[in-house]
Formats: sequence, C-alpha cells, structure tokens
Amino acid sequence: MNPDYRQLLSALLPEASLVLGALIVLGVDLFAGRQRAFAPRVQLSSWLGLLAIAIAIYHAIGASPAAANFGGVFAFDALARAARVGVLLLAGFTLALLPGTSRLAHPAEYVAILLFATCGFTLMASAQQLLVAFLALELASLSLYVLAGFDKSRPESAEAGLKYFLFGGISAAFLLFGFSLIYGLTGSIEFTEIAQQLRVQPTTPLLVVAVVMILVGFGFKAAAAPFHLWAPDAYQGAPATSAALIASASKLAGFTLFVRLLWHGAGPAAGSVSSFTGAPGWLPVAAVIAGLSLLLGNIAALAQSNVRRLLAYSAIAHAGALLLGVIAAGSAGPAPLFYYAATYGLATIGAFGVIAMIDRISPCQRITDLAGLYRRSPLLAGCLFVYVLSLAGIPPLAGFFGKFAVFAAALKISGLGGPIGWLAVLAILLSAVALYYYLVILKQALVVPPANDAPRIAVPALAAITLVVVAALLVVLGIFPSRILTLF
Amino acid sequence: MSLSPLQLCLLFSSALFCVGLIGALARSNTILVLLGVELMLNAANINFIAFWRFGPAPSPATGVMFVVFSIAVAAAEAAVGLALVIAIYRHQKNIRLQEAVRLKG
Repeated sequence: MNPDYRQLLSALLPEASLVLGALIVLGVDLFAGRQRAFAPRVQLSSWLGLLAIAIAIYHAIGASPAAANFGGVFAFDALARAARVGVLLLAGFTLALLPGTSRLAHPAEYVAILLFATCGFTLMASAQQLLVAFLALELASLSLYVLAGFDKSRPESAEAGLKYFLFGGISAAFLLFGFSLIYGLTGSIEFTEIAQQLRVQPTTPLLVVAVVMILVGFGFKAAAAPFHLWAPDAYQGAPATSAALIASASKLAGFTLFVRLLWHGAGPAAGSVSSFTGAPGWLPVAAVIAGLSLLLGNIAALAQSNVRRLLAYSAIAHAGALLLGVIAAGSAGPAPLFYYAATYGLATIGAFGVIAMIDRISPCQRITDLAGLYRRSPLLAGCLFVYVLSLAGIPPLAGFFGKFAVFAAALKISGLGGPIGWLAVLAILLSAVALYYYLVILKQALVVPPANDAPRIAVPALAAITLVVVAALLVVLGIFPSRILTLF
Repeated sequence: MSLSPLQLCLLFSSALFCVGLIGALARSNTILVLLGVELMLNAANINFIAFWRFGPAPSPATGVMFVVFSIAVAAAEAAVGLALVIAIYRHQKNIRLQEAVRLKG
C-alpha cells in the first residue's frame, strides 16, 4: 500500500487551515498586537481565528466523501463530514463570543489553543484507527485542560483546570490500556480489521476487560456517571467560553468517535440489550452508565444553587441520553445521536454565552445572579428563554426533536421487551424532572425583578449576532429536523 | 504452572497499572498523582511492546509505532500538568489536593 500524500493533504485541508490559522494568530499578535490596547488585540485575534474556522468549514464541506481512506486511517463518510462541519460551527460560535466577554490576559494564545482543540475535534470526527483516535483525543483534551485553567487571576480557574486534567489523565490511561488489549487480541489498530477479527473470535474475558476499560475512559471524557466528578468543578471554575467549548464541540466530536469505535470497531462484541437475558458485551455496560447518568444528573441538578453547576449536572443527564443514542445507533444509524449532540451543543453554547455576557458586569455564579435579566437586557433574556427550553426539550425547539429521535430509536429496538425500552421510558420520565430545574433558571431570568443596583447589560454586536443566530438555528432545526436526520 | 513470556509481561503491566491507579487515587501531592498517571500510561506501553514482540503481529511495527507516539503524548501531558500545578501553587502556596476545595457543591 502506497499512500497518496497529495490526496491526504487535500482531505486534511480543514485541519491544515486550523493549525496555520493558530500560528498566524500567534505571529500577528507577537508583531502587531503587543503595542495595541487590549480590546483591539482581542478583536484582531478573534477575527483571525474566525477566518481560519471559516476556511476550514469551506474545505470540510468541499471534501469529497469518496476520498481514499489512507489504509483505513481516516473515514471521510457522511457522518465524518457532518461532524466536522458541526464541530467547526460550534467552535466558531464559541470564538465569536470571545471579544465582548474576555478579560483573559493572553487573547492570542487563547484563540490559538482553541483552534488546536478544534483541530483535535475534527480529527476525532474522521479517525478510523486507534492511534489517530488516541492522538486526536489527546490533542483536544490537552488543549481543553489549558483552556479551563486559562484565567490565571482566579484560583477557581486553576483548580478547575487541575481537576479536569487529573481526571482526564487517568481516563486517557484507561483508554490507552484498553486500546493495547484490543491491539493484542486482534493484531490490528484499524477499526474495520478489528471488527473482522472480533467477528471470528469468541468473546473472551480479556476482550470484555478491554472494552470496559475503553468505556470507562470515554465515560470520563463524556462526563457520564459514575465518572462525572470533574464536570461540575470544571464548568464552575473555567472561563465561560472554555466551559461552552467543553460542553459543546468536545461532546459532539467525542460521541462521533465513540459511535464509530464501538460500532465499526467493537460492533461484534456489542452483546445485546433487547431482552433481559441478552448476550454479554459492551451494550449492557453502556446501558448501565446511561441509566446512572440520567438519574444522577437530573436529580443532583435539582439541588444546585449555582447556575454553572446546574448546567454541568444537566450535561451529565444529557450524556446519559446521548449514550442511549449510541446504543440505538446500531439499528437506527448515527443520525439521531448526531442531531441530539449538535442541537444540545448549540443550546449549551448559548446558555454559557449569556452567562459570559452577564459576567462582564458582575460575576454570574448563583442562579439568583440572573434575577431580572428581562429588564437588564431583553435580548439576553429572550435568547436564554430559547436555549433553556431547547435544553428542556419543549417543542418546536430542536432539543425536543433530538430527544424524540433518540428515544424513538431506542424504543424501536425491542419495544418494552428489554432493558433498553425501559431505559428510554426512564429518560422520558426524567425529562419531566428536568423541566423543573430549567424553569427555575427561567423564573429568575424572566419573572424575578432585578436588584435595585443592577445595571443594564450592553451586549457587543458580534456576540449579540452570534447569540441570535444560535437561537434562530435552534428554532429552524426544530421546525425542519429532517434536514439533519436524513443526512446519513 | 509455567507462564509464557507474553503472560509474564501482561501480569507485570497489569500490576504496574494497578500501582499507578492506586497512586493516582490515594496520593494528596499533585506531583505524585501525576507520577501515578505516568505509570498507568507506561503499563499500556509495555502491553503494546509485549503484544508486538510475542504476538502473531501481521503489520511489522504497529505496536512500536503506537508506543513512540504515546510516549510523546505522555510528555506533552506532563508539561500541561506541571503548568497547571504551578498555576495552583501560585494561588495556594502548596500543591496539596486536600486544600483545592474552592469548587464544591
């Protein structure tokens, strides 16, 4: 096999433009940014970063789906294309929120690391080999640790970064150990060859250990219970834009890689969850993790008084629902999972964007800090209304159809004849619980009057446009869900 | 019972992984937690080398190649980790994890 490097270069143009863009941002800031005032420096870095992401989106859309896969290293199928464009859009929205909100000391470095993280996300979206998957995951994770700990002036940020890093490091070790066992069992690190080997092998205990270790690693990365402990601290302490990226683009890329690895690679070892006496494999383990995440996320969120921690626990609950989508992807394809992850990412970016805007005036940590948002900034209150209702899954917003597609796909597997059906029922019931804590946020923002000394919040133009576009996307995707659901 | 070299390697790497995990979970000094994580990564590396050396490997250098990359990743991870440790030290003047309790709930 002689790989064609020109083809490889043309297929990886999005990643190339992201890395080049990051280097240009650093270079321009080094030579032109130092003598400028802070605000134009942030503007310059952000616009250069947005330009790099725009070029990457152009190349990602133009990438031919039939491009060679370079000896099974990459898969450039419809899922990869959609996931690449999706993570690029989500990262772009996050970056567009930066200029108005950031008081970070090194804006160019922040933008550059954000672009490196995005490069990791796009590689995760198309990886089809264990080594590339591991490297992409680590590129993304290491960048996110730095972004979480980026605000050197606040001890909370450093602590969030450190906790995220320690849990992430342990999860990376679990993942690598699982990968090494898979390599030992199958003699290959390519997903398709692994699947071929597993199809002829019996399910050995060692294989179960390997797959469970991979699930533990992914559970950490996706913040699924019982491996969720880092998430509330990271979301609370990290700068709001970093938290938005951790919660949105990283989730979408992670679950794309997850579904590809588990179904294309370890599919023959899936086992079964369609009946209570199903075959052992990774599906039952994933189902247990999904159920725990749904329960713990939704119930712990009820007790939160900090709005960022509340969003973190809601993220854990959504990770449970996304795992249901992973389980259902075997029969229904990745479309429901992708739609859910993408629309959830949009809504979270919006919610953290609103928090970031309030943060400009006064710290926004407790839910009561949102009080009277409808008078302080009607625009932010209106956008938050859309985001939170989409997170809660109210029709006609996109969050509802995401939940609907995933739960319907899960119920179609075996009706109520197996654990998967009852898990979907549990998820539907817990959505009602979730509505309560989402409405607590909205009550503060829309009903409770503001404190007497609370000033109005001026929203910078770029951030305002971004927030409105995100809200509009949630409405439009909610009215036309088939635009996404029929992509694959 | 006699063990083949591959089994011995796997036993050794599993023990190393467990030692690393216990170190990472039980230590209160952040640097020692980092050391534990490095041990766990190296246990996986030993697995790759052992499977490559003793297994029926069809592709000649896959395991070694994977290890070279994962050592590089571990180095990058140590760099990021030490930077975060310094960031914590600047604020609380020590690196004990028990005192990093500003975020909770």
